[in-house]
Amino acid sequence: MKLATMSAAEDAAADVAEDYRQALEDLTVNSRIEIATLTNIARENSQHAMAIAEVLANHIKKVPPPRTLPALYVLDSVVKNVPTPYALYFGPKLYSIFMGAYTKVDNPTRRKMDEMLKTWKEPVPGSTNPKPVFPPEVVKPIENALIAAKNVALQVNQSSFQGQQYMLRGARGPAPPHRETPTPPNVRPATQQPGHQYPPSNGHMPPHGGNGGFPMRPHNGPDVLPPRATTQPPYGGAPYHQPPQAAHQGISIERLRDDIQQLIVAEKAEFVRDPLDVGKQTRLKALLDLQTLIQRPDVPQEQLMLVKEKITELSVNMRGSLPAGGTAGVAPVAAGYTVPPYTATPTPPVIPGAIGAVPPPQVPAGAGQQRPPSAPAVAGSAPVAGAGAGALSLDSLFGQGALAALLAGATRKSATPTPTQTGTPIPPPTVPPPVAAGVPAPAPVPAAAASLAASLPPALAAVLQSRSHTPTTAIPGAAAVVPPAPHLEAAIPKPAASAPPTVPAGAVPPPPAPAPGAANPSALLAMLRQSGLLSGGAAAGGPIIKPEPGTGLLPIIPNPLAGQPGEPSPLPAWAFTLKQYRGPHFINRLHEDLGPPCTQCGRRFGTDDEGRRKKTAHMDWHFRVHQRVTDAERRGQHRSWWVEQSDWVSSVEAIDVDHSHRPDATSAQSKGIPGQDTLNYDDEDNDDDYDPEASFNQSYNSYSGASGADAAGGYGGAKSQGGAGRGKGGKKGPGGTKNYIPVPEDSAKVNNMCPICQERFEMKWLDEAQEWVWMDATKVGGRVYHASCHREVNGTGAGQDGGVKLENGGGSAGGGWGGRKRKAEDDGFSGVNARIKLEY
Amino acid sequence: MSIPGLGQIAPQAPTSTQRTITLRPFGEWRFSIPHQHSTFSSNSSAAGVTVRLVSGTAERDGTELAPNSVYTFLPGTKSKLFTDQGCTLEINNTGGYPLEDRVVEYPSPEQSPMLQYINFHFGLQDFERAAAVTAQQQQQHGSIRYQQMKAQPKPGPRVLMCGPRGSGKTSLVKTLAALATRMGSQPLVANLNPTDGLLSLPGTLGAAVFGTLMDIEDPEGGFGVTNTPISGPSAVPVKNPMTFYFGREKVEDDAEMWKQMTERLAGLVSRKFERNRDVRVAGLLVDTPPLEEGWWRGRRGWRVNYVVVLGSAELQRAMGTRLAGEKTSYGEPIAVLGLDKSDGAVEIEKGWRQKSTETAIKEYFFGGIKARLSPFTQSASFDELVVFKAPDEPYEGAPVLERVEPTPEMAHWTLAVMIASVTDSPQTIRFSSILGFIVIADVDVERRRVKFLSPVSGRLGNHPLIWGRWPEPYLNLLA
Repeated sequence: MKLATMSAAEDAAADVAEDYRQALEDLTVNSRIEIATLTNIARENSQHAMAIAEVLANHIKKVPPPRTLPALYVLDSVVKNVPTPYALYFGPKLYSIFMGAYTKVDNPTRRKMDEMLKTWKEPVPGSTNPKPVFPPEVVKPIENALIAAKNVALQVNQSSFQGQQYMLRGARGPAPPHRETPTPPNVRPATQQPGHQYPPSNGHMPPHGGNGGFPMRPHNGPDVLPPRATTQPPYGGAPYHQPPQAAHQGISIERLRDDIQQLIVAEKAEFVRDPLDVGKQTRLKALLDLQTLIQRPDVPQEQLMLVKEKITELSVNMRGSLPAGGTAGVAPVAAGYTVPPYTATPTPPVIPGAIGAVPPPQVPAGAGQQRPPSAPAVAGSAPVAGAGAGALSLDSLFGQGALAALLAGATRKSATPTPTQTGTPIPPPTVPPPVAAGVPAPAPVPAAAASLAASLPPALAAVLQSRSHTPTTAIPGAAAVVPPAPHLEAAIPKPAASAPPTVPAGAVPPPPAPAPGAANPSALLAMLRQSGLLSGGAAAGGPIIKPEPGTGLLPIIPNPLAGQPGEPSPLPAWAFTLKQYRGPHFINRLHEDLGPPCTQCGRRFGTDDEGRRKKTAHMDWHFRVHQRVTDAERRGQHRSWWVEQSDWVSSVEAIDVDHSHRPDATSAQSKGIPGQDTLNYDDEDNDDDYDPEASFNQSYNSYSGASGADAAGGYGGAKSQGGAGRGKGGKKGPGGTKNYIPVPEDSAKVNNMCPICQERFEMKWLDEAQEWVWMDATKVGGRVYHASCHREVNGTGAGQDGGVKLENGGGSAGGGWGGRKRKAEDDGFSGVNARIKLEY
Repeated sequence: MSIPGLGQIAPQAPTSTQRTITLRPFGEWRFSIPHQHSTFSSNSSAAGVTVRLVSGTAERDGTELAPNSVYTFLPGTKSKLFTDQGCTLEINNTGGYPLEDRVVEYPSPEQSPMLQYINFHFGLQDFERAAAVTAQQQQQHGSIRYQQMKAQPKPGPRVLMCGPRGSGKTSLVKTLAALATRMGSQPLVANLNPTDGLLSLPGTLGAAVFGTLMDIEDPEGGFGVTNTPISGPSAVPVKNPMTFYFGREKVEDDAEMWKQMTERLAGLVSRKFERNRDVRVAGLLVDTPPLEEGWWRGRRGWRVNYVVVLGSAELQRAMGTRLAGEKTSYGEPIAVLGLDKSDGAVEIEKGWRQKSTETAIKEYFFGGIKARLSPFTQSASFDELVVFKAPDEPYEGAPVLERVEPTPEMAHWTLAVMIASVTDSPQTIRFSSILGFIVIADVDVERRRVKFLSPVSGRLGNHPLIWGRWPEPYLNLLA
């Protein structure tokens, strides 16, 4: 009944929400009347505030940029006019709503949003309530994020955008500088892309380095991997100073990693939606590998910058092509463009040309089109720039020009710090022409590994492997100087060419490497090495894949160079990153993300409605168990027999409470083994009656429900009636079933005479129960009756109850005893199979 | 409690019994509490070594400890508490148990094999299980693809765990199961290693769904027989095992029987998958005996799509070669993955194992610290008991079972009670599942009566008994 009302309420809420959604759809311009109307609707339906708030939040996330501001104004209006309960509902989500919107709109709108944000810090004008619209702890993170974002943008792009930035900042009033905000100007000269007006923001608002920027998920301290931060560098001589260095340079690896992580999450969502889409798979793979590589301590800043830029763009595009969701926070605007990227990429068409054989990736054309302004700028600095044809997954990921750009950056980078390579960006003797030609495609940036992973899992993984395995042998930079390209060429292409591995999970063929790609692997490796991404240790000796026996190779790939006959076992992309520590966020998925733990057993429950419901059931379960454990022990308990095969097959785990309905109860009705006294049982019935009793069903394994009734009062009642029904039948019928209850502890309080027949109960030591019992007794309400008398009198009442159960073997709960004693005498095991429902 | 005459134990007496250790993320506290000699037991005030999680998070084989709860680890426990976020533990050994322990920390998470295990779990969770859920939904929504296939949607990951003896297979299976359970999955775990018993006594093969919390205090970490249903409430949710009686210690002792049994088990697992959506999506984890032969012969029916090799590059290569190009019946390739072995994983010595078996038998009948059980001593005439014996040495064409009269040698053996009828064929009886166990206390040939200990009262009826060859009787339970 309660359920019915609840669902009715839910229906009503759903209706209101749907209406509201449609009304919002119609809101295209900033119309005060419409907004006022929407506010009124929200006010009138405040009992469905949660649904409305959700609709509105979703609407803001999804609505195209030009219509974002009106939608935000609705939020503003609703919150100011109906603060209770709307401010409460929006509060926790405000950060993501606001930042999501902020990232997609254009600058004038942003200014409007800034103004709006300011009003949120103050009380509603004309209101008597002195409290601000939103509490500071809600608004502050947003402010911090914006300030930090602007600071970073400012730095990256100081010279050209200075004025504008200051203006922007000025408009919002002075803001406390964020401590992790990088300071040094002149970070990036020349080669760099224009930089970011607003840096890529994931949900965490990067510039904070996790310092409170993201209200939902507070981190303590900088977002540095704690273990690394606290431990001695395990990497031999390689200094492990990434975080500070990164901060100094204006690019935080953590931030980048977060961005990538964000993309991965989004991409995963996509992937899950359609696991067979090769494009998605490829990109996901690429991202994962990129993530790995980015962790390398010796990745040059230039590359990071480049990668970051691409990631930024990618996230914009991703967001464009994704339905609003996980990526809402992914934000970035490539700053060179005054046009907001969102508008620049209204629909996601397929990248033309560049991708070659790669099935249509989801990257909108915008990715490619947007790039030209920036990419050539970078590419121009390197000789290898133009040849971007070979496109592996990286191209699908980053778009064509990106690779060249990345490459260019990479080469330059490797050229400069390396003593032997000073001077020309790429000394012709070192990198043979074919290599150079092949290079641009796979792009030796970290992400290149990703593209490789798609086409050459074994080889790449092995390389990565050897890298991660022998970190001490890494000679960053130095070894990169002389990449023995020919060696590599000899070594690597083989597996690529001869054994195109299949991607496991979804039977998705990997994107075949296009023809020019044949030379790629080697070139790629060369470049990787050159760029310092791959340490030279492996490069120096021809054989790259050198499994160290004994030490666990992870994953151990059958060495393709060893001339093995069989194809290497195909591994899913994720299996290549098993050794990679993805940071505390990842670990949190096993802890905080699951919700707070139960104080008694440590199980975690979510904080949403579903989680709360489960937790309530769980705590009830704990409570009941505690209540009965001592009792059960005093009375004596024993191991139960185990269940028969078909029962095991059809049994369902009941967690905390068996609210779960047996999906196929009929089949659970015993099939039994021939000759065995099998019992039908259909727990459907019991499920309903016994819900709260679930944990105690086992106690009936040997005693009749009567004992349960005694101890558990209420819920045992139904059971003992079932038993009573049976008892009656037994008494009148042949055989005589024993129905009994334990002698009440305080006999004085209980009638010791049957109110119906005025006879005393027969007290008896029942061996099986190991206690004194009243035979043929049942407890109904507070009184004890002869089971048989009670049934006679209440004929239909109790009898029916019992009868129904009995037909279905309800007595089964009584195990070998109680209601089924008679049978039990024939076969002590008869009850065994009946009892499947376990105590969970 | 210093005990005079026990030498070195005294010094760490009352004052120093309690200590606090702090673990960095990915650190481990490894401990081992040896079995007690029966003469020494129950003397001490504490049942075992207690541990309390003061702060942070810690877990045993994937199951999280509740903050601030006191957990008691009993003698006969050899395990570790691991933390992926760092933690402080308070360890209390008031009982003066000869606890051996040490803290192991790694310079970086990457160096801890646990990271691989966790990542592996996430791989399964994010890709395989997620895909299985999707497939499920697609099927439910009548997607054409699956209608055409007219088949069950692809289940979640099926993982076969193999590796040399003492490489930590069972612990990893336990961990993966617990991690999955923590995230709301209900994986099926199967054990093909007769030397252990999954939720059963050693000498059995079996499977069970793990949808609920695992018992942290159980010496076997949740896989022990003590977690099976009892007649009363149970503080840690019980699990429902399905077991076959192998009755021998090693696969080699009766390889043919083992093969048939594992096939039976695989068949049941498939049926379970068909019937139970949650379990199907969560997939399967198969623990194997430390045999290369083992994985191969038992594999097909399981339709595994992941073979995890723990700590042996050689074995992994062999398997990679062997499985190359093979596909499961769902058309998936079989991925062979190598994971590092934890240096904490050790082979269990024979003596320890024997004690553990003893403990398991005791716990089966008498319960553990959480619940004391009262088994029943019964007496039956020779005619009432139908006992079958597995042949001592299996040979080609040997009968699977021979009917025997109870004999005095049977005393103190643990016999399996089968879910079958005495009138069934030996074949049927051999391959039916186990109802429970009894221990023969005494055989009186003159009076033709057998006294035995049974968990449940009531006569055995027409359930046949099987007298296996292992585990041998070590103790007199009724003494």
